[in-house]
Amino acid sequence: MRPNSVLISLMLVLLATWLGLDAVSVAANRIVPGEGVGVGGIAGWPGVLTSLMPMLAVLLLAWRPTGRHLRLALMLVILMLTALPLWLVVAAAATVDPSLPQARMAIGPAVWIAIFVLLLALIELRGRVPLPSWQNGLLYLLPLLSLALSLMLDLEPLALRQEYQVRKSAFLTAIGEHLLLVSAAVGISLSLGVGLAMAMRHWPRAQRFGFTLLNFLQTIPSLALFGLLLAPLAWLSDRYDWLAALGISGIGWAPALLALIAYSLLPMVRNTYVALEEVDPGVIDAARGMGMSRAQIFRQVRLPLGLPVILEGIRITTVQGIGLTAVAALIGAGGLGRFIFQGLGQAAMDLVLLGALPILIMALLADALLAALTEKIRPGGTH
Amino acid sequence: MIELIQVSKRFGDALAVDDVSLSIERGELCVLIGTSGCGKSTTLRMINRLIEHSAGEIHLEGQPVREFREEVLRRRIGYAIQSTGLFPHWTVARNIGLVPGLLKWPRARIRERVEELMALLGLEVEEFADKYPSQLSGGQAQRVGVARALAADPDILLMDEPFGALDPITRESLQDELVRLQARLNKTIVFVTHDMDEALRLADRLVVMNHGRIIQQGHPLELLRRPADGFVESLLGGADRGLKEAALLPVSQRMTALDDAPLAEQRVSQQATLREALSIMLWRHADCLTVVDAADTPVGQLSLRQLVGAGDARAAAGRTDTDQAAG
Repeated sequence: MRPNSVLISLMLVLLATWLGLDAVSVAANRIVPGEGVGVGGIAGWPGVLTSLMPMLAVLLLAWRPTGRHLRLALMLVILMLTALPLWLVVAAAATVDPSLPQARMAIGPAVWIAIFVLLLALIELRGRVPLPSWQNGLLYLLPLLSLALSLMLDLEPLALRQEYQVRKSAFLTAIGEHLLLVSAAVGISLSLGVGLAMAMRHWPRAQRFGFTLLNFLQTIPSLALFGLLLAPLAWLSDRYDWLAALGISGIGWAPALLALIAYSLLPMVRNTYVALEEVDPGVIDAARGMGMSRAQIFRQVRLPLGLPVILEGIRITTVQGIGLTAVAALIGAGGLGRFIFQGLGQAAMDLVLLGALPILIMALLADALLAALTEKIRPGGTH
Repeated sequence: MIELIQVSKRFGDALAVDDVSLSIERGELCVLIGTSGCGKSTTLRMINRLIEHSAGEIHLEGQPVREFREEVLRRRIGYAIQSTGLFPHWTVARNIGLVPGLLKWPRARIRERVEELMALLGLEVEEFADKYPSQLSGGQAQRVGVARALAADPDILLMDEPFGALDPITRESLQDELVRLQARLNKTIVFVTHDMDEALRLADRLVVMNHGRIIQQGHPLELLRRPADGFVESLLGGADRGLKEAALLPVSQRMTALDDAPLAEQRVSQQATLREALSIMLWRHADCLTVVDAADTPVGQLSLRQLVGAGDARAAAGRTDTDQAAG
């Protein structure tokens, strides 16, 4: 049996970065730059050696990747992911002086890379170790539980947490705004997109013009599009009081929503069009030959067969929208982007993270959920 | 009964079907054959108005097809195609029940009918009813396709190269199945193919088309014996025609009564074709066979001379031969 080179390379990277890079950085307050501390500086040599054990074990197991060995490796990877937050609690206790209330600890490159590498190892192992779904769920639950426990326990000095503590309510509002903008944009562009795709099917001549226009919209940089929308929207809200009453103006949620819809339309229309158009001609021929009406063919054949491709469009649009909405904070549309731009302005990387991490997690979650849904409704069971 | 009266179809400037007249009797299995692009599929698809004819008239039981609503017309006519066109997101049972569903049959009756058809086509209900088309072999999928075409018990069945994509063994077994079904159900069937062996095997009436026109039509034996021109002759297999004819004639037609001579060692069933008998002779190096019935009781004998019909000059004289056949 050949060694699993993916796991081996991942573990070698993990070992090198874990020993070579700073694990955390500690600062007396928010203003002064942090001071890097390595793994050895936190727990001493016994601690370092203990932390190396599971990595070396996975390395050895990957050398002869039998089913049992890989199962064991999977458990060890989960163990390491579960241990990381608890280890951060230890690090905070060891490095931060409790007499300084402003002192804080930021997560360093070694830990970030460890999380990243361990997740990659998890993906690799999940593909090779068959597990029933409840065990699968449990796998992800353990590290999350440990994270929650650590946050409750004693991660007060974690800088990310301090940034959050100060902005608790603003953070929740921002997530709400973000989700609202994205779902409104996806919802509106879905109905518009399906309508446009059907119109294009009906009038083939409009198709070329339509796709050219949508392609053009897609090429405008997002900031430029916000700028382009500013003047006309400001003029409109100035002229019509009821628009202003709705809260529409040159900046804020209105131009952000319009821009998001503009960007969402191309993937939505393209996927819907392709989904409805590219059904096997033999199937449509049979459906007509059996005496189905146009409406019946649409509802019972084209739509269900095209649904996975349409959902794929929704997935692309949603993930893209979650990212783009961050930029919309620049024109006062709110959302998590606000923390990113504030953090950049104050050179406070932890504040940037407070905005960026949830965006990342939201995008990954939306992607996974919609991909799973697409897989579930894929017609015909096996293909 | 289906009647085409001087029917033409124009696609832009091209004339796909040119002044075709054809009358298909109730219970007849009519095979349209020709090279690809000869207009045979177009002719078939004009009958259920998947393609509208440009000129002439098409009648179904004496009524012009244009007088029906398209959907109503098509639900009355079974339709099976080469790619099967099974809905990939529906189970086998739901696919078969498509037309009864469109006709709003009660659910219980549809289920009953689906099970009846699956049994008729040799598909185990427990095994196949809940499968999806992607889980079927080519032959199984085509059986489902035929079952779906028969679901609402239509009088007329249109089949567009239904067995064209199958391997030779599956194709032959489905052809046998169709012959068996036809003997039992007695539908009016229009069948399009470009495979002459299939055509000769199935057809009550063979219609040869070329460049959108009907070149010749009639019983397969009639066409074999008197092809109208070199095209029909080459389509019918040229020099192989003798074998193709032999494949259509049963042994019982040429055998003679048993006489006092000892029985020939090799046997052949009286239901076998002359072609099969000839093959046994070639294989066994025998020039005489004993003909037996289903119970293996000798009922006659067949010598090589009798098999080839030697001396029957009257029959031979009636046959036309064009020069192309020799080459």
